Amino acid sequence: MKISKILFVSEFEELWLDALQSLMGLRKAGMNNVVFLHVISKDKVAMRRGAGYLKQEERKLKEIADIRFIDWAETLFEEGMEVVAHIAIGNIVPKILSVTEIEKVDLIVTARLKRAKFEELYAGSETSELLRRADKPVLIYNYLSQSGKVGENPFERLLLGLDWSVSSEKVLDYVLALRGATKRVDIVHVMSEKDVAKISKMEAQKLERNNKKRLDEVCDVLVNEKFDARPHLYIGKVEDQIQKAASEHRTTMIVVGAKRRSIWKEKWSGSAAHSLADTSELPVLIVPTEVK
Amino acid sequence: MAKKVLNVEDDADTRTFVSTVLEENGYLPIMAMDGEEGMKKVKKERPDLIILDILMPRESGIKMYHELKLDPNLKDIPVAMLSGVSKRTFLRSQAALTEFGDETVPEPQAYLEKPVEPEDLAETVKKILG
Repeated sequence: MKISKILFVSEFEELWLDALQSLMGLRKAGMNNVVFLHVISKDKVAMRRGAGYLKQEERKLKEIADIRFIDWAETLFEEGMEVVAHIAIGNIVPKILSVTEIEKVDLIVTARLKRAKFEELYAGSETSELLRRADKPVLIYNYLSQSGKVGENPFERLLLGLDWSVSSEKVLDYVLALRGATKRVDIVHVMSEKDVAKISKMEAQKLERNNKKRLDEVCDVLVNEKFDARPHLYIGKVEDQIQKAASEHRTTMIVVGAKRRSIWKEKWSGSAAHSLADTSELPVLIVPTEVK
Repeated sequence: MAKKVLNVEDDADTRTFVSTVLEENGYLPIMAMDGEEGMKKVKKERPDLIILDILMPRESGIKMYHELKLDPNLKDIPVAMLSGVSKRTFLRSQAALTEFGDETVPEPQAYLEKPVEPEDLAETVKKILG
């Protein structure tokens, strides 16, 4: 697994050049190629009664995006990076997926994508839709505050959330590919409070010992690859405990795996990964089980 | 026989503009929408001149220019850059590629920053192709 090409999706209101520059730490992990994507919503140029298709508006919006991308690209070109750009009109999630396929990117970087409240009720957020459909890792990247502050190197201190599923193995592989960009990895497994309550004290202790052993094994893999890694066992609700652990260990990015699930399954049973993507203040990197 | 000019450009309006200027001045325009398609057309069509944009999908003009100039069979095809990216950035990017291990390449025959007037484009092409 390698990360040489990233797709940087920007609607210009959520992610700016400084967010992109903060990802340049990935160059140490082999990243040398950036694909820009800006999607102009169909609503902005759609047919209007009496005005038809707003061709002039489309030209204007494309020109604005082009000027912005040229400015960003100049900075990266001068650092010896390859930069390409796509400006498209349509729905954001399908466009992200199509450019991901065309450009064969290794990582999708986007801000949290929102829908209108009514649409979210039945279709969920666009972030959830992207996570459900993408077969590449997605980094949900948001400014830490309204003032637009980003961490200098989000890949520096990772919190690796593992649930021992198949996706956990994929996440570990992905983190190993980040060598060079990452200094510290805190490996966290969260035991469910409900599950522990159902079993005897002896069984709970066995479960704890077993989880600690597995955490140690993962830690050894990382240490052997020259990462500074520490294992941690938490108990409680997964997303709450991961956020708590992130704050305790001065994490700069949360990394978790996620199974690709149907919209209904996602809606009714939920997933910790999607919930973190929707709520965490820190950047969240979600690695799908079926990474191509 | 009219000389062939390959325009590598992702923007449809600019392609139409360049194509019109070329045809009006007696050249045969060939179009490509990105650097990847551009390289294929260069090998297939052997144009007399390439007018090259920089920021495009799939492969940038920076990379395509570098590839052209490092290919012994293609390096003599003249190139006129036509882009919103400044010449200073273009030259710095080529220098950066050299720093990262590639060979130094010569400067393009012409560098036009967008937007360009039709007369200036026609004059540049004439100057290079005679």
